Amino acid sequence: MTALRGLLVALGVAALFAVPKLTGNEYVLALGVSFATFGVLSGGLNLVYGYTGLLSFAQVGFFGIGGYTAALLVTEQGWSLLAGAAAGGVLAALVGLVIGYSSLRLSRHAFAIVSLSFALLCMIVARDWVSLTRGAMGIPGLPIPSMKLPGGLRWRLSQPADFYYLLLGFAVIAQAAIYLVVTSRLGRAMRAVKLNEPLAQSQGINPLSYKLLAIALSALLAGMVGGFFVFYLTIVDPSIFDFYYTETMLIMVIIGGPGSFWGVLGASAVLAALPDLLRFTTDLRMVLYGAVLIAAMLVFPGGVGGWLQRRRLKRWRRPSLAAP
Amino acid sequence: MDPGFYLQLLLNGIVIGVIYALVAMGLSLIFGVLEIVNFAHGEFYMLGAMLAYFLTMNVGLGYWATVLVVTAVAVGVGYVLYEALLASLHGGGFERSILLTLGLSMVLQNGAVFLFTTTPKMVQTPQSYTNIVVGDLRVSLMRVLALVLGLLAFGALYLILYRTRVGRAMRGVAQNRDAALMVGIDPRAVSRLAVAIGIGLSGLAGAALAPVYAVHPLMGFSFVFKAFAIIIIGGLGNIAGAAIAAVALGVLESVVGGFLPLVMVDALVFSSMIAILLLRPQGLFGRGVRV
Repeated sequence: MTALRGLLVALGVAALFAVPKLTGNEYVLALGVSFATFGVLSGGLNLVYGYTGLLSFAQVGFFGIGGYTAALLVTEQGWSLLAGAAAGGVLAALVGLVIGYSSLRLSRHAFAIVSLSFALLCMIVARDWVSLTRGAMGIPGLPIPSMKLPGGLRWRLSQPADFYYLLLGFAVIAQAAIYLVVTSRLGRAMRAVKLNEPLAQSQGINPLSYKLLAIALSALLAGMVGGFFVFYLTIVDPSIFDFYYTETMLIMVIIGGPGSFWGVLGASAVLAALPDLLRFTTDLRMVLYGAVLIAAMLVFPGGVGGWLQRRRLKRWRRPSLAAP
Repeated sequence: MDPGFYLQLLLNGIVIGVIYALVAMGLSLIFGVLEIVNFAHGEFYMLGAMLAYFLTMNVGLGYWATVLVVTAVAVGVGYVLYEALLASLHGGGFERSILLTLGLSMVLQNGAVFLFTTTPKMVQTPQSYTNIVVGDLRVSLMRVLALVLGLLAFGALYLILYRTRVGRAMRGVAQNRDAALMVGIDPRAVSRLAVAIGIGLSGLAGAALAPVYAVHPLMGFSFVFKAFAIIIIGGLGNIAGAAIAAVALGVLESVVGGFLPLVMVDALVFSSMIAILLLRPQGLFGRGVRV
């Protein structure tokens, strides 16, 4: 990251943190929470699909597992929110490893289908394991959580602005983690696995371990953000596993450009705000999303990020005019 | 409980299993020949059922005419689908094909919800309440007809795949695309036919099931996931394996559903799929066609 870009990012994050001070408008804060949450989810999906080349439908399952785990641990075991969300993330990552290990032995095709079935299985379990998850009614009325801050202070998250800070703070950490991974040796290895698996293998890269790493990290982040998000909603019920989340995440990654960190982040911001701007009914919005997905696959498979990348490459390859 | 009850459950299970098989075989055929996982497959089943409802209730066509028209329309839709969308994907792009068909499924499903609402509709004809009684057994005529249709479709698919030149070409492409090209098989024509047959089977399944169960826009969505589990359990691209797994699943659902909440069966299906991948990654019956 160049110094200029670093400065811009720091300014952008500072501006986002300043929003509650500038406006008390809860609607704006809700959009911010939605952006932070979906940003983490789509960033994780981008890590798995965009960088490692595994199409995954399991993100929503990890999200919901994190939500349920945090809600149950906080309400029934009296854990703190942070510990509950962390436990949810860890559980999601473990589940992700099991799914990834079992299906990737066969092929990435099998992984796609198994991840889908896993997400559906999660919804079925949430709906029908009534003694644990309380069935279709879910767990309503989650308490106002509080967190210990350094210095013996307690932070009660009673206002929408508190959740805005919490989710934005977590999103910044999560995005930074994703950024560090994709720009490091790990990210390059993942990309190599995506582009040409046998070639990557011949260079001493073990594809399975990088695939599992991508799945586990994305599951950890999705699970944790799920844990925070359900306390913002104050309810967790089986609809947290709704296919709607999956479709929205996929659209964000596809439009932003699989394998493009900033593209996906930008698309998450735009698409988190867009549904509220386009006041359609959900059905029509999903018809529109579907049409966008078809169009993107037919004419624009690289998304915005891919398009920018192609333009940059073209510029680099242009013969210099100064040359004789 | 008397044996008649079990026999009844078994028979109901076979009927629903045969319908599952119609959808799953089409899915498996399309995967085998095109290497495309068709996420929109269930929506064609839903549209087939919707069309059957419309033809029976609003146009007043008879049972067989409805089935014929729906199947013909579905085959036509399959051709159009291949030419309009899937042909541009040829070669490479498993993920692209999933996302493309997922988009199609979103458009069709939510479009249907928008146009018809999610209220379930029942196809009711004078024959709806006719039962066939054999000893203790009492089976509705519509279920028997669905079973007959399914078996006819099995037979037709078998004859096409194993007794015609084009069927042989289809299996050839599924086994080895390059070799098939080399001996002069046009993969495009074969793929088009495979999609048309696959979608046609799906539409037929919808038409056969419409008089038995309620018709609503979300019926395909839940159904297609079960079909995915079936083709994984049966072995990806293995059409006969898919059929066996589908019928077994239908029977299991029906028999277990007689004692346990049906939802447990759903969980059982998906967990058994993951277990089978762990223990026997090539599916229970291996790959009939190599992909």
